[in-house]
Amino acid sequence: MFLIIKRLWQVNWAEQWQYRANLLMYLMYWLVSPIIYLAVWTSIANAKGSVNGFTANDFVTYYMVLLICDQVTSNIVIHTFGYKIQDGSLSGELIRPIHPMLTNGLVNNIAFKALTIMGLTPIWIILYFLFKPDFSSVSMTGILLAIPAMIMAFFIGYLLSASITALAFWTTRIYSVHEFYFALILLFSGQFVPLTLMPPVIQNIAQYLPFQLLIYYPIQLILGRLSTEQIIQGYVMSFIWLGVASLLFNWVWRNGVKRYSAVGA
Amino acid sequence: MPTNSITVEQLSKTYQVPEREAGFNAAVRSFFKRKYKDVKAVQEVNFNIAQGEIVGFLGPNGAGKTTTLKMLSGLLHPSSGKASVLGFTPWELKPEYLRSMTLVMGQRNRLSWDIPAADSFLLNQAIYRIPDDEYKQTYKELDELLELDPLMKKPVRNLSLGERMKCEIAAGLLHRPKVLFLDEPTIGLDITGQVRIREFLREYNKRTGATILLTSHYMADVTALCERIIIIHQGQLKYDGGITDLSHKIAPFKLIGVMLADADSHDLSGYGTQVQNEEDADKRYIQVKAEDVTRITSKLLADLPVHDITITDPPIEDVIEQAFNQ
Repeated sequence: MFLIIKRLWQVNWAEQWQYRANLLMYLMYWLVSPIIYLAVWTSIANAKGSVNGFTANDFVTYYMVLLICDQVTSNIVIHTFGYKIQDGSLSGELIRPIHPMLTNGLVNNIAFKALTIMGLTPIWIILYFLFKPDFSSVSMTGILLAIPAMIMAFFIGYLLSASITALAFWTTRIYSVHEFYFALILLFSGQFVPLTLMPPVIQNIAQYLPFQLLIYYPIQLILGRLSTEQIIQGYVMSFIWLGVASLLFNWVWRNGVKRYSAVGA
Repeated sequence: MPTNSITVEQLSKTYQVPEREAGFNAAVRSFFKRKYKDVKAVQEVNFNIAQGEIVGFLGPNGAGKTTTLKMLSGLLHPSSGKASVLGFTPWELKPEYLRSMTLVMGQRNRLSWDIPAADSFLLNQAIYRIPDDEYKQTYKELDELLELDPLMKKPVRNLSLGERMKCEIAAGLLHRPKVLFLDEPTIGLDITGQVRIREFLREYNKRTGATILLTSHYMADVTALCERIIIIHQGQLKYDGGITDLSHKIAPFKLIGVMLADADSHDLSGYGTQVQNEEDADKRYIQVKAEDVTRITSKLLADLPVHDITITDPPIEDVIEQAFNQ
């Protein structure tokens, strides 16, 4: 299995390098909204002193950590896999004795991530010198707690996206479903605005949904803003959602493959 | 006693295809209530293939050949019926099954387009758990037959159609499968390439005892490799048997070709049905019933100034064409 992963990595890594320009555009697209939110909220906080207790520095640190968490926990499986189901090019992978989405798809996403994180690093450093944030609340414990949380979050996000992608076995138009999913992420993950600034109703709903585990929870862990109780709750939710997402994906995939029509080649 | 490596029982596949009439109103209607049409691609097909057999799977476009191959390789779930290949139900997609068969189909299956074929080969080595020495040995054999080395380092998208096909076939055979499903394995290849693939497949079959089921539009592939053919038309099995028996059963005719001293001045219509043969314009051809060949040949030789005479089977294409139309 290790050799399979290694060779998959080599192939996917090489493939990603073929599309450097494309990758750069993806990264730009990814960076635009958080940087806009960062700029807007910081200037509002600067003008008003603070927004609901959030100072300008709180916003800067929040969004700068968000850039990292978002890169680690997000995935692009719908773009790399959806079309394969629709146009029949999944066939070649389906009859290989390894699971297409849980091996190749996964490695492909991680290779993509490795490259975008390389691209993110210089941008992050520039932002650091631009805004000179105060990261004094960040502790080693926070970071160490955030790493497993982010890894679990990546898998939760991947399995949920993969489930939506596998809907392509039923309908050939999955992108609208995914847009809706992205809207939920924007609202409930803390990407748009830190969840504590959201109305209490949204906050209440958000704590039971998987989306805050992708962004808000690891950011708060890193920034050391959670009580022990909240940390435990986040981990419990992560385990529960990892289980739910695995079951969901397994079900969608198993039933979807039966409907695969292997069109074209 | 050879055991069956493929058994197919009452295998059927019906596709549901959405359909609507052209026009705006029809488009709106179909948004709310979509109509489906059932397309019966394969209908209750039965056959068995023994281990080590090479069987040609023939039929016109849309006959259901590819659908059947897709079901047997596990890509498609059938609508009804059973199939067993090497004791496995293909569409359960068990890894043990997938490691022991191959499906070569079309141009882009096993190779990643953006990287050289060599990388995809190494990936397949890992995926199919091929030990290093076995991999080297198999690669060497494939390279001798298909001249792969010069192609290995170019990105696959820069290869020609034929070059890509060679790499696809090689990639599909690296793990030495016991059952091969080949859909048009020689498509896009030049004559030398076609002959090489044929020789390779025959050799592979002889050496490993692998079972091969292949479709091809090149009749030469079929006549060179297969003793047995299965003909399918409009999803139904039309013929299953020896390739030589086919002409006896379907078209018990022979072709008599004669080269005459003054070619056009004689009327041959009294001897049999005159047929055109573009490949050999010097001769004139008549089709006669097999049992009449001796009688008519002697009559021709006695009546006419014959320079040369040949007696042949009708081309297999024509025979199969006739089989489809029955």
